[in-house]
Amino acid sequence: MDFFANLSLGFSIAFTPFNLLMAAAGVTLGTLIGALPGVGPVSGVALLLPLTFGMDPVSGIIMLAALYAGSMYGGTITSVLINTPGESASVVTCIDGYQMALQGRAGPALGVAAIGSFVAGTIGVVLLMLMSPLLARWALSFGPPETFALMLLGLTTVTGLTGDNALKGYMSMVFGLMLAMVGFDIISGDARYAFGINEMLDGVEFLPVAIGLFGLGEVLVGAEQVTDMRILRARYGVRDVMLTAADWARSRGAIARGTALGFLIGVLPGAGPTIASFLAYTLEKKVSRHPEEFGRGAIEGVAAPESANNAASSAAFVPMLTLGIPGSATTAVMLGGLMMWGLRPGPLLFEKNPDFVWGLIASLYIANVMLLVLNIGFIPMFVRALRIPYGVLMPLIIIFCVTGAYSLNNKVWDVGVMLVFGGLGYVMKKLDYSPAALTLALVLGPLAERALRQSLIISDAGVAIFFLRPISAVLTLLALSAVAVPAARALRQAVRGRARAAAA
Amino acid sequence: MRRADQIAGAGLLLLGVAFAGAGLRNYTYWGAAGPGSGFLPFWLGLTMAVLAAWLLIGATRARASGGRWLPEGAGLRRLVTVLGVTAGLIAVLKIVGMAVGTVLFLVAILRFVERMRWRSTVAIAVGTAAVNYLIFTHWLRVPFPVGVLGF
Repeated sequence: MDFFANLSLGFSIAFTPFNLLMAAAGVTLGTLIGALPGVGPVSGVALLLPLTFGMDPVSGIIMLAALYAGSMYGGTITSVLINTPGESASVVTCIDGYQMALQGRAGPALGVAAIGSFVAGTIGVVLLMLMSPLLARWALSFGPPETFALMLLGLTTVTGLTGDNALKGYMSMVFGLMLAMVGFDIISGDARYAFGINEMLDGVEFLPVAIGLFGLGEVLVGAEQVTDMRILRARYGVRDVMLTAADWARSRGAIARGTALGFLIGVLPGAGPTIASFLAYTLEKKVSRHPEEFGRGAIEGVAAPESANNAASSAAFVPMLTLGIPGSATTAVMLGGLMMWGLRPGPLLFEKNPDFVWGLIASLYIANVMLLVLNIGFIPMFVRALRIPYGVLMPLIIIFCVTGAYSLNNKVWDVGVMLVFGGLGYVMKKLDYSPAALTLALVLGPLAERALRQSLIISDAGVAIFFLRPISAVLTLLALSAVAVPAARALRQAVRGRARAAAA
Repeated sequence: MRRADQIAGAGLLLLGVAFAGAGLRNYTYWGAAGPGSGFLPFWLGLTMAVLAAWLLIGATRARASGGRWLPEGAGLRRLVTVLGVTAGLIAVLKIVGMAVGTVLFLVAILRFVERMRWRSTVAIAVGTAAVNYLIFTHWLRVPFPVGVLGF
């Protein structure tokens, strides 16, 4: 009964006019941001966070969550029509989606993506709704050692799974943790690493860093590339995106498998929609009875990854809401937002802020319905937006970065921080470091430090406490293996390289 | 890329050592109750130093110099100009105000970097400044710098 009471509370919040408006704004902006190459969901969430300060937190999260879901839908449009992914979770869709478009089947490609996304997104929310309260209740028993072990696991998995270079990923993470040390220490009152600068006593603020890394940094990466965006001539009106019975028969299984796999991957801390979409494509090719059609316009090659990324983006909320550990780069930025709104992420969120959690869950259902309508009926509108030249878009995004960073405290200092991290984000991206790991470390750093120190205070056995309690032991071992596996691989490569050098 | 890795490795190695050292010297490593404010900074600095050393050694031993990571020619010019103009906007924000700053910034980029026609440049610049003013100043009540002109 609790459950239905909560859900109806959620819908009563989601159906207020203002929250419906926020969901509509979120899905529209999200589809647009997903479709535009060069800005993805992480940038979108970072850029829109400042707009949510004046709002009720639940309205803020409704807009950002709708934006996240929308970007998963919108990325497809660019993949299919331009053969350039609009965001990273639609990279794999380019393969068969663009081939379908070349064969004059852009309509069904976009249609199956919209329907698959809707099915997966909605089932994802159902699972999120059923699973989260149980997980949160379990996590309520966590003491400081478990909390610290969990954060360690979140940090190491995000770092290990995003980016191509594990060593640089861990360097980014440690750098983020070092930044988190700056400012007043809550336990001792020491002003650490502030160099006597007033603005640094409060620490390195998360928002200017996120806007810099993901807003300005991404734009700068785009600015140096002179892209040639040729949009394929195709038909994508309402009637064109409808599926034939044959298309539907082929896609059904792919959508189901993509949904299941995507949710599973998305729940894991660290592995988000991008990884889910790649794995779903690989799986679909393996189970297919005609794998030779993949890469030549197989509709399953669009249906599976597009379903998987939506299921994963819903699932990414599970660890974020229940444990305070984000499942993707985008939810990491949202987690920072949660803290700025004054909420404490973690298992207590379900008890202390049921309106927030259930309002979010209910509005995700609504957002998915809105997105289905938007991505069946209004594709031409988004294609027109793709014709905006990057040279115009770029300075507009920069202005948005500047105003957003300023609006945090009304201080030019924050805009300067944003600029510095914009430059840093550009360099990090070009040199294979991980801005996502840095951001997550900055968000989790203070909480992790507190949990670590509390654990060591209550411990009679020093750091061994993390291995003496069963849950924290399992989590710590998992976290350590996430570090050890890439380290062992790197060592083996180094040894093999030396052997080869010796032989030559 | 190899040179960049060497520079980053050396720089972050120094940073890690300095961070750990400052942590030990200025803050308490272990207090009466348990770990103090210098405990985690010390270990973080040390970890960074080890990772950076690993990167530095790996990059130095690599035989291939790796590809260029900075763009050349037009791409580099565009990048530097955009960064420079953004820094300029931030520098004069307090003096000219957000609205005028926005217009100046957009005119600089659209007209002189993107070579757009004057008419579209001015339309986009003024339109953006107006929308920005509406959202942030009017709706969200962010007190933007107003500048000497009063808006």
